[in-house]
Amino acid sequence: MVEKRPGKLPSLLLIILFAALSVIALFPLFALFLASVKPASELFRFGLNVRLDFDVMTWANYKAIFSGKGGSQNFFDWYRNSLVITAVFTFLCLFLSSMVGYGLAMYRFKGRTLVFTLVLAVMMIPVEIIILPLYKLSIDLFIIDSIWGVILPFVVAPLPIFFFRQFAMGLPKDFMDAGRIDGCTEMGIFLRIMVPLMLPAYGAMTILQALFSWNNFLWPVIVLRSTEKFTLPIGLAGLLSPTSNNYEVLLAGSILTILPILLLFLFFQRFFIEGLTVGGVKG
Amino acid sequence: MNAGKQVPNGQRGGGTVKTRTLNGQKLAPYLFILPFILSFLIFFSYPLVNAVLMSFQRVLPGDVAFIGLDNYKRLLNPDFYKALLNSTRYTFWTLLVLIPLPLLLAVFLNAKLMRARNFFRASLFIPALTSIVVAGIIFRLIFSELDGAIMNSFISWFGFDSQKWLLSPSLSMLALVVLATWRWAGINILYFLSALQSIPRELYESADIDGAGTIGKFWKITIPLLRPITIYVFTITIYGGYAMFTESFMLWGSRGSPQNIGLTMVGYIYQQGFQYFDLGFGSTIGITLLGITLLVSMLQLNVLGFFKKED
Amino acid sequence: MRKTGIALTALTLFLTTALTACGGNNNNGTNASSTAAPADTEAATSEAPAAEPTKLTLWTFVQQHADFYNFMAAEWNKGNPDQQIVLDAQNIPYDDMHTRLLLALQSGEGAPDLVDIEQSKFPNYMKGNVQLVELNDIVEPEIPNIVKSRVDIYSKDGKYYGVDLHVGATVMYYNKELMDKAGVNPDDIKLWSDVETLGKTVAEKTGVPFITFEGAGNWSWWPAINQMKSDQVGPNGEITVDDPRNIQAMSFFKKLVDEKIAAVSPGVGHDTPEYKAFMNAGGAAAVFMPFWFMNRFTDEMPDLKGKMIIRPMPAWETGGNRSAGMGGTGLSITNQTKSLEISKKFLAYAKLSKEGNIQVWKQLGMDPIRTEVWSDPAMAESNKFTDYFGTDIFATLTEIKDEIYPVNIRETSPKVFDAVRNEIVPKIFQFGEDPETVIKKAAEALRKDTGQ
Repeated sequence: MVEKRPGKLPSLLLIILFAALSVIALFPLFALFLASVKPASELFRFGLNVRLDFDVMTWANYKAIFSGKGGSQNFFDWYRNSLVITAVFTFLCLFLSSMVGYGLAMYRFKGRTLVFTLVLAVMMIPVEIIILPLYKLSIDLFIIDSIWGVILPFVVAPLPIFFFRQFAMGLPKDFMDAGRIDGCTEMGIFLRIMVPLMLPAYGAMTILQALFSWNNFLWPVIVLRSTEKFTLPIGLAGLLSPTSNNYEVLLAGSILTILPILLLFLFFQRFFIEGLTVGGVKG
Repeated sequence: MNAGKQVPNGQRGGGTVKTRTLNGQKLAPYLFILPFILSFLIFFSYPLVNAVLMSFQRVLPGDVAFIGLDNYKRLLNPDFYKALLNSTRYTFWTLLVLIPLPLLLAVFLNAKLMRARNFFRASLFIPALTSIVVAGIIFRLIFSELDGAIMNSFISWFGFDSQKWLLSPSLSMLALVVLATWRWAGINILYFLSALQSIPRELYESADIDGAGTIGKFWKITIPLLRPITIYVFTITIYGGYAMFTESFMLWGSRGSPQNIGLTMVGYIYQQGFQYFDLGFGSTIGITLLGITLLVSMLQLNVLGFFKKED
Repeated sequence: MRKTGIALTALTLFLTTALTACGGNNNNGTNASSTAAPADTEAATSEAPAAEPTKLTLWTFVQQHADFYNFMAAEWNKGNPDQQIVLDAQNIPYDDMHTRLLLALQSGEGAPDLVDIEQSKFPNYMKGNVQLVELNDIVEPEIPNIVKSRVDIYSKDGKYYGVDLHVGATVMYYNKELMDKAGVNPDDIKLWSDVETLGKTVAEKTGVPFITFEGAGNWSWWPAINQMKSDQVGPNGEITVDDPRNIQAMSFFKKLVDEKIAAVSPGVGHDTPEYKAFMNAGGAAAVFMPFWFMNRFTDEMPDLKGKMIIRPMPAWETGGNRSAGMGGTGLSITNQTKSLEISKKFLAYAKLSKEGNIQVWKQLGMDPIRTEVWSDPAMAESNKFTDYFGTDIFATLTEIKDEIYPVNIRETSPKVFDAVRNEIVPKIFQFGEDPETVIKKAAEALRKDTGQ
């Protein structure tokens, strides 16, 4: 606190600014949470509101989900499937995509621009138009109705490839030569020297790809056919559909879907903050 | 599929001369990009070719026929123009909001004098965690036309009358951009932060010695070093803008919006392909959209000197 | 070096998965669906001897429907020990279920045995070579006992492909409290012209509109023109949106709105949170919606319990129709089923039999298509609907039994409905444009687009 930097006032202003922004960002979710612990009739009486009325608050909506009534008997299957798919997808996706992105950034080779253009093209294909052929293909490849059907087609994802490429562009190339002199293979240089330097990128991408996988819906609902193989968003969306009129389950279920990914985020954001010091010290 | 055969070979010779070659500087880049090449060949080449073919066909169960350019001729209709215009307007506004704002916030969050940064970063990111269904329910209610609804109460503090947000073309565009900002700003902050954190502190320290001010350092060091990530965010925002469908789906549901004020390009594909069961025409719209987004992002990348500098 | 090894192993893992997958394809490309296979084979082999239970897959988009089918499957098993079924009733969200079905039918693989198809989506599945199974042998014998229009909707060229769950008879829901306050007896409102006079009294005495119309939906205009035996689409799919009767009905509604007797519903229509909050707080004295809207009242407008009554709609002229069958979901069998006979038997049991139809009311609170059960004692048993609306629900329904005119749902319907909801109705009700001009212009555009 005895630092000579004139930090106090700007620091306070920043805190006020971010506090205001945080309130705006979190307000809708806070309202959602409040609605989820009240009977649905409250929502219809008063609309979305932030009245703190402890008399009507209840965990009944959450209990309803775990009660196994109304199609939620597979709830734990769905939860487990989602966790497995998200873990496997995120791991493979980060490993493979960072490899490709790194390769595109660090080497000059024939066809590099073409490959990069293809990456962009794959990113920009509207999934809706390839869904029918991809569905037929999944049947022929025997990955229909399995977690591989959900994971494999999109595991080498263009968005993280692009991101890792951009990130790797900023890495010092002289480390590579140093590695070569030490007798590392190119793959060794990547894994031993460069991967640690890209930790902030891995941190950010872990969160984003896990988020993508966790909330992914359009493709899994097509490729998965058995109820017990569904992921959480598919299973819950069925319960949550507006045609079913069960807002109780809907709101409580929404909060429950957010939780795991929130924990993951809180865990990984530390990880990628620490990535900073590694890169910083060496850089 | 041929590319795949290299690997069993490479593995058989594991650790010997062959791995060396495969790992050598000449071949290494191809090894690195191999996952993408395989993924493209296996999962995308056939569907993509198929989608192009479908765009020249009438596709019905047990009844698929080539109809030449008929689908492309049908593109020239008011709904298509409306969808293209809506998507372009949305892309424009998201570019304008979702790049400068997150960049600035990320710089603040990364500043030395920032307190409780983990907490604030988390709270700004949390909206991104919500699924479409959930965010849809919340925002439908927030932008409700009732006087007591959150948005209407908010503007009433400033003396405005209650608005029917989801019926007016300009207000609904505003609603879409607000929703996009709420959901995506945290993600872009995350991108910028990850890049900011790889900028060596020494650079700022040496600038301090040279007597550069905060703003000077921002323009001289931060902005140039954020260039690669800015290009990335720019490109994916263009892509995200043209691919936008879920936000519109969230606000109006699947049955379309009054006078198509929320119709986007992907929404149009969805409507024609799946709701009217016209997969051929849906593909035509999709291929056209792919052409447009590729063209726009290539132009953008060229203007930003993306290819020139590196090759 | 060790790390390199790990990397290569991981890569090989990825490649082998991909490669074996391709290899498998070449070996036996025809019969696929690897993991779902055990269940399917079981179903196929067990059909003939009927010793093992048959597994039937059913897709729907409403959880309550899934619960109903599960209940009916259990009932079926009680009565048919030699033909047991195991029903897998999957509930998938509305749009996704229809998309998934479309992909499965288009690619010839992955469709369920039975599927619930929503009325307005149905014409899509009548395109090309129909991939659903003709049901004439189970439907035709029951035609005298059911509301025939409820199977006509799901037919093409004299072949029936689906059976509806309910009639969806449109009725008036009156807020008795507000009507009493205005001193108007709902039973005196017999004609639409009475709405103009008596409705005005209600609006003036209570200070709230007598009735509301959907501002971007079809549940107000469509039932009203159906009462006049008109429609938005003709029997052969021609565009009849601008039929003079349609324009007359819409102009009349517009007039009621201009005279403040009626209001445009908050939200885009009646099935929205805005409307329900508004109505729940006594926002209007009446509304006409199909029978299935009852559970929106019981579940989402709790404050009106005991205050609402159900009556027939006003007719356009004395002796005219006082209801219209609106909305619906047809249960169909796909041609990919491996258990056709038992699927048909189950469908007939769940949707056409007396037992099934009684359960449609008991489980779902909907008006069953088999009209004889309307007077069954089971319908008078008290439940949450009788608690809410009183015990004369089916008395009202029986009164209008023969006043339900069929609707036309054809291949052009999805486009026409979208144009009505998103173009015609909002322009008139939200932006105050002239009904005749708007309707004629939209009809022209539709004719051009559909080539009709």
